[in-house]
Amino acid sequence: MITRIGRLLDAQDERTVGTSMRIPEALRDAAALAVEHLHAAASTTALTADALRGRLEAIVLQAALDDHYHQNQKAQPTLADLAVAAAELDGHPLATRPDVLRRAAAAVVRSHPDANADDVLLWAEAQAAVAG
Amino acid sequence: MTPPRVVILDNEAVQALSLANHPKHGRVIALAQVVAQRKGRAIPLDVVVPAAVRVEAGWDRRAPAAALVNCLCVRDVPLALASADVAADLVARLHVSVADAHVGATVRAVADRGPVTVITSDPDDMAAVADPVPVTIVTI
Repeated sequence: MITRIGRLLDAQDERTVGTSMRIPEALRDAAALAVEHLHAAASTTALTADALRGRLEAIVLQAALDDHYHQNQKAQPTLADLAVAAAELDGHPLATRPDVLRRAAAAVVRSHPDANADDVLLWAEAQAAVAG
Repeated sequence: MTPPRVVILDNEAVQALSLANHPKHGRVIALAQVVAQRKGRAIPLDVVVPAAVRVEAGWDRRAPAAALVNCLCVRDVPLALASADVAADLVARLHVSVADAHVGATVRAVADRGPVTVITSDPDDMAAVADPVPVTIVTI
């Protein structure tokens, strides 16, 4: 099922369909105002489609990775690995200090077991700023 | 709104993502997991693969071996007219591979959308094909 959803998200088909999806009226009005006054997207339809795509991609991507970890337990990265990866993706200065990020991950996870990579990066950055 | 970061995969990044026994698999899976965490928090981020890179890496989306990488929401960047011209110029000037040249053309095509990161095993060639566009290079 993950593969099938992924394939549909990858489809280059530009055809559109009308739907009978029902959403709260206030939500529709809020979206219309965001488009008109905050330029959140080209149209309410585009805003809705982009949000739906983004949410579906997040779900599919995490499901695919969870399935991969289930089959290959050694492939699952630690929080420290993720913090280093996050710093590298952003070109963050701490990307060159993996030792600092690994210590930060160890400290953060003790009080916040559900912390993510960006939580660790923020913590490490704050610690570095305090240390001068 | 925060502009979306565009993450471009090179040949070895694709291979490392696809093969669980690849020596760099853990490194690229960690990067993919960060992408997943950020998408889960609605942080805009696009991961793309230039079509020529996909060819060089042997990534056939129809193949069973591509099951994992197919589900990682990596979008194809076609080698279209404009990018083919840019890539041809890069090949002529820098003597890089077609795949690397398509990475360079992709960098230029997406540069106005937000920050760009390239995941690669060949940082020198990637820096050369991206120049003068500033990119973050992750060396695997």
